[in-house]
Amino acid sequence: MLQLSQTQLVPDAEAFEHPFRAGTLTVVLGRNRSGKTNLCRHIAGLACSAAGEVSLDGRVMSGLRPQSRSVAVVFQAFVNYPNWTVAENIASPMLAQGVKRKDRDIRTRQLAEVLGLEELMQRLPNELSGGQQQRLAIARAMAQRAQVLVLDEPLVNLDYKLRETLVLELRSLLQQSGTSVIYTSTDPKDAFALGDEVLLLDEHTKLQSGKPLDVYRDPQSYAAADLMSDPGVNPFITKASLVAAARKAAVRPEHVYLASAPPPGEVNEFQMDVWGLETSGDETFIHGSVEDNPWVVRCSGMAHVVPGQRLPILVRNDDIMRFGVV
Amino acid sequence: MASIQLDGLSFRYPGAEEYTLAPLSLNVPDGTAFALLGASGAGKTTLLNLLSGLLAPTSGRIFFGDDDVSYVAGRQRNVAQVFQFPVLYESLSVAENLAFPLRARKFDPLWIDERVRHIAADLAITEQLPFVAADLSLFQKQLVAIGRALVRPDVSVVLLDEPLTAVEPRMKWRLRQTLRRVQEELAVTMIYVTHDQTEALTFADQVAVMADGGLLQVGTPEQIYATPSCEFVGYFIGSPGMNFVDIERLESSLEVSVGASRVGFRPEWALLKPQGQGQLAGTVESIQLAGTDSGAATGVVRLDTAAGRVAVRGKLNVAVGDHVGIELRQHLCFSAQGDLVTAEYD
Amino acid sequence: MTKPYNNKAWLGVLPVLLIVAFSGVVPLMTVVNYSVQDILDFNSRFFVGFQWYSETLQDPRFVEAFVRQLGFSASVLIIEIPLGLMLARGMPREGISASLMLVLLAIPLLIPWNVVGTIWQLYARSDIGLLGVTLNALGLGFNYTANPLHAWITLLAMDIWHWTSLVALLAFAGLTSVPAAYYQAAELDGASKWQVFRYVELPRLKGVLVIAVLLRLMDSFMIYTEPFVLTGGGPGNATTFLSQHLATMAVGQFDLGPAAAFSVIYFLFILLFCWVFYSSVVREND
Repeated sequence: MLQLSQTQLVPDAEAFEHPFRAGTLTVVLGRNRSGKTNLCRHIAGLACSAAGEVSLDGRVMSGLRPQSRSVAVVFQAFVNYPNWTVAENIASPMLAQGVKRKDRDIRTRQLAEVLGLEELMQRLPNELSGGQQQRLAIARAMAQRAQVLVLDEPLVNLDYKLRETLVLELRSLLQQSGTSVIYTSTDPKDAFALGDEVLLLDEHTKLQSGKPLDVYRDPQSYAAADLMSDPGVNPFITKASLVAAARKAAVRPEHVYLASAPPPGEVNEFQMDVWGLETSGDETFIHGSVEDNPWVVRCSGMAHVVPGQRLPILVRNDDIMRFGVV
Repeated sequence: MASIQLDGLSFRYPGAEEYTLAPLSLNVPDGTAFALLGASGAGKTTLLNLLSGLLAPTSGRIFFGDDDVSYVAGRQRNVAQVFQFPVLYESLSVAENLAFPLRARKFDPLWIDERVRHIAADLAITEQLPFVAADLSLFQKQLVAIGRALVRPDVSVVLLDEPLTAVEPRMKWRLRQTLRRVQEELAVTMIYVTHDQTEALTFADQVAVMADGGLLQVGTPEQIYATPSCEFVGYFIGSPGMNFVDIERLESSLEVSVGASRVGFRPEWALLKPQGQGQLAGTVESIQLAGTDSGAATGVVRLDTAAGRVAVRGKLNVAVGDHVGIELRQHLCFSAQGDLVTAEYD
Repeated sequence: MTKPYNNKAWLGVLPVLLIVAFSGVVPLMTVVNYSVQDILDFNSRFFVGFQWYSETLQDPRFVEAFVRQLGFSASVLIIEIPLGLMLARGMPREGISASLMLVLLAIPLLIPWNVVGTIWQLYARSDIGLLGVTLNALGLGFNYTANPLHAWITLLAMDIWHWTSLVALLAFAGLTSVPAAYYQAAELDGASKWQVFRYVELPRLKGVLVIAVLLRLMDSFMIYTEPFVLTGGGPGNATTFLSQHLATMAVGQFDLGPAAAFSVIYFLFILLFCWVFYSSVVREND
């Protein structure tokens, strides 16, 4: 188990703790510049502005050089040794660990097969496509046989369709390997697709953690709710009926229904002034405003809505998330 | 503003055996928002470079309106381009950046001032006009880059090369909305290159899907989504893409067209039923969560069937290992070569 | 302390620190020490405060040498920086011709400085030097040993030949970092070649140009070997710059006190010019 204690990702940030249980895949979700890369570097032992104690299975790692830590890292930019072939790249960590040649060759072969690189063993990295280069970087990281594997937004520089296939491949690959995996992303879809656990980061500190579905259903703050929805949540102010205090509430774009297709259960109705529509075939995004707040409605299929129209929309009571006093 | 006509346009690097861009013909009406969608290496950037004048065609012709511009230099073509990262004159102010293309073409200074203000207002960057470009955020810089592309009134076409790449995920929506709104207001012909299907389908009036240097299909987003002309387009659009099964492997009969050998259906067109029902039987292989609907978890269920792997969208009320039936509420027929036979709906 | 703390790095730096202390800092302090004393011989020294400083600053020969030095450095900068820039812009960026050009440019920089002086000394001679004979054949009456103006021009030509490559190489490195998209955007804008230089290239070259100017400013202000070999400071004092003047005082006349004061003044001037230049240009960047 990897334990973070008293961790401050930048000086003056709020300190937090987090246990990464052994063998789990944790998705660290946060916006750009929220501290994800700092977290990765901190765990790996690379120079960064983070401070705090990192311990693995009870052993404190904080004073150890990156080479002495059992942590492997895959970065956003496909980082491979440019002058070495694919085979040599995969073998490189084993070379550093002093593994015998025969064992090295066997393991290299295994990893190449698992990651679909077995036909490319003699190529140089610059002869590979982006997806292949990133798979090579992952193979290299896995060859280290580290206890912790950190992937810092590894798929963000790849094509959309390629990302889709690789996410699935990665999920089965990482689950099989049994290592503790930390995967950072800005997209909540990744948290759902990959994560056993999700850790929300905002402004260099931890907001919430837990199973993706639990965090999705029960966000503890507006920011936490916002991070788990793409596009962000739709805010509105409600007045508690008994106490005249304004409270902030929000509902996810995917939980707003058109009056023409009402959901079951108790609903509240709102009026939306529609500005525009975007459709991507299987989904439609309706942009507009409700009570002077910008809202986005995400519904399946094609919606027949016209800009400028006043659209009645429904929100289930159970789907409304309420947060503390504004 | 002009319509764009491509006649048998192709490109091959000197000495290369294969075409980077196979001969294609295309018509982009004036004032259209047009998207070129494809994976890396599909040829879309090559096509963009042919349009901007960076590359000269190996064969075929390009018309902007009635003018043959196939071999005309970039600066005389009246095109503007927005790149993946904001390309500006960093040492100049926003106003000077916007005025630059106009001053270079010697428009009247008073009119230039007017025009700069108009475009800045359209893009909501009027407040940033006096600031030096280097001091802006990435999002604002890209807005200025877009402004520079739009500022010339006589521009035939605005080319956008994956313009949202450098922008933060949260801001992509706003930038896309801004682009769309401005495109409609100014009725500018825009050609938008991307590998992201959401960007292409949400932005464009017309989408061209490309692969391996060839044009696969051109149509409205609805057409591309609902009636892909070939299996590759069906697979490429949608997340996850279309499922394909051999007709002979179906458990019960389905209305199919003559000459069809495969049936394609999108994950959202299928429904999970208890074992024994539906046209296909399968075992649940994996479950991918996507969110909740009316309190119940929803997502994509991947199943192993006699016809291969299949993905279905819906409520996640099954577990790995369950035996279920798959009912197809909607499907399309494809020939043995992978082409669409006829659209059929149940 | 939670980061891996590696003290071994200090071991690597220690030798350098010692060498710099030994060869730089300690001698500098010695010179400062001498500059406030009157040294008749090793045993008799008297503290004289700032006397040497005021004498030096009022010495007409010092002032003349200083003015000549300023003129030289200014001319060098005015010619070499734009010339180097133009060279860099004209060079091919890729391929075998680029490598060839880089090698050609580097050659003048590799020649020992006194050899440079000797080359030009022979080259410009009006009796047997190629340049001298050619100019005289054209009827220009060129003689750098007798004519102060000709001596200056020859010196400048030599320095430009010697050092412009440095500016060109630095500027070239800066130019190769400009992404192609910027040139393409400027082309589509209809920008003229001058506008491309002024608005796309120059802003990105700022850092590199600051380094180039600082290097040339310092080096030209300290120049000694080449003019000494070429003209010996002549004709008369026409090309006697500060360093040569100092050398004459310290080595020739063995007047350590005033020489030391002169050295300190010299050092402080260079420091002052560089600081003024650097802060006035770099201040904008941050």
